[in-house]
Amino acid sequence: MIKDITIGQYFPGNSFIHRLDPRAKLIVTFAALVEIFLCKNFLSLALIFIFSVFSILFSKISFKVVLKGLKMIYFLIFFTALLQIFYNEKGNILFEWRKIKITDGGVYTAIFMAVRIISLIFISSLLTYTTSPTTLTDGIERLLSPLKKIKIPVDTLAMMMTIALRFIPTLIEEIDKIMNAQKARGADLDTGGVLKRAKALIPIFIPLFVNSFRRAYELAFAMECRCYNGSNHRTRMKIMKFTWRDIAAFIFIGMMLAAIILLNHFFGAVI
Amino acid sequence: MTVLEAENVSYKYSVGTPFQITALDRVNVKVEQGDMLAVIGHTGSGKSTLIQHFNALLKPTEGRILLYGKDINESRETAHNARFKVGLCFQYPEYQLFESTVYKDISFGPANMGLSSSETDERVRRAADFVGLSENMLGKSPFDLSGGEKRRVAIAGVMAMEPEVLIMDEPAAGLDPRGRRSILELIGNYRKKTGRTVIIVSHSMEDVAGVAEKILVLNRGSVAMHGSLDEVFSRSDELRGMGLDIPQITRIFSELNKYGFGLKKNVYTVEQAKDEILRYLHKGGNAK
Repeated sequence: MIKDITIGQYFPGNSFIHRLDPRAKLIVTFAALVEIFLCKNFLSLALIFIFSVFSILFSKISFKVVLKGLKMIYFLIFFTALLQIFYNEKGNILFEWRKIKITDGGVYTAIFMAVRIISLIFISSLLTYTTSPTTLTDGIERLLSPLKKIKIPVDTLAMMMTIALRFIPTLIEEIDKIMNAQKARGADLDTGGVLKRAKALIPIFIPLFVNSFRRAYELAFAMECRCYNGSNHRTRMKIMKFTWRDIAAFIFIGMMLAAIILLNHFFGAVI
Repeated sequence: MTVLEAENVSYKYSVGTPFQITALDRVNVKVEQGDMLAVIGHTGSGKSTLIQHFNALLKPTEGRILLYGKDINESRETAHNARFKVGLCFQYPEYQLFESTVYKDISFGPANMGLSSSETDERVRRAADFVGLSENMLGKSPFDLSGGEKRRVAIAGVMAMEPEVLIMDEPAAGLDPRGRRSILELIGNYRKKTGRTVIIVSHSMEDVAGVAEKILVLNRGSVAMHGSLDEVFSRSDELRGMGLDIPQITRIFSELNKYGFGLKKNVYTVEQAKDEILRYLHKGGNAK
């Protein structure tokens, strides 16, 4: 069950998007996320939503996987939409009963918000789906390297991130094992009230923490033994290079920005 | 009497995805009351998957698991109760300790069974005593103990539930030779003293030869052999084909017999070998 979480997972592939330079991918993703927030009406939002859907099709990652990743935030989407419907009092009243007032402005905003959140998830999860964690941190490290000039230890931070990402699957596996072991001793994890359930987590998290510390020590010793030193002007096995793909991606996202600004300007705003 | 039975059990991981794997393929096994059974197989043969079915941690994709003739997956309740009747001690159980004292950790299982505190206390002390933990250790933190002691605490935690069937997954893994021997001896004693059914999972024939009476060999998710030590070890060529082997000492004896020493074939431990050699020498050898 825990193994079903797909957000943050990497699916190897050889698509156009997989082959983008990680720096370019980071910049384009960031730009696309900003563009989502720039959208003011349904036309511009539709544009960016279609963009996100086509990006997924382009990456050849199955839609099933992406929708599975959405599962965890269905509740968030639903709740946001609900709040908008009931508390937004813009526009004409569609329905009124005692204190409850539903307006068309509220419904529009609700739909707008839902689509916005979905697009956000699509685009941001696509980044991790198509980029291996190591490449991703490499990209971040390179993008942030100017900060070294003001004495921010970018490479050490990048190493920390790589380690953190590397151990996510290990920890998930470990949680699974510990849960099974405690269930075998009769631990009841799925029934009872909030307090009982929270208490039932103690037998799982304590061993998990203890084992994580042990593993951290082991890893630190192993790194020390190989004389690891964060900032030693490391060279790379894979040298990052911008190609025509990256330039195309930049041009495309730039054109999207222009289109969104124009659409916002010429058509009325919903939000 | 049959205690546990796997009836046509198949299990598939990640059903409906491209990663689907058949871990068990129509397995039929009967475990009799009082059996000392060893489950042996190469990595990926489905040993661990099978034993997790026995206490309802996993639900078969097809088939049924019967405990005293009743399907354990019939309801939530039967599945939960099966956990107490079939005690499962996982590999490296010392990594599951979590309580502040050894005593509390051992009592986790019995307490979950809803036993009275006096009954729990009795069981904890009995189990601790059985695995060789002294009285003054009960008050210590389990995290201050040595690796071998931790493992004993974890085993005691399962034994304290006093299950009808005790399953141990690789109980001797990662211990030094002395630790291995003493853990295996402990399991042998448990069986002798209580007469309950014990199942040991292992990939080492050497470990198993000393304690088990029956062997179940799994290969790629199916039952390859199931029988007494003599029956299974007499098929050494087949075992080798599955990446398994007979105990070293048994191999030495079969080689010796090729040179015409008329030695017993069913020698599985060094102890038995010693007796057999003494018997042979006493009789006066007749080697060619």
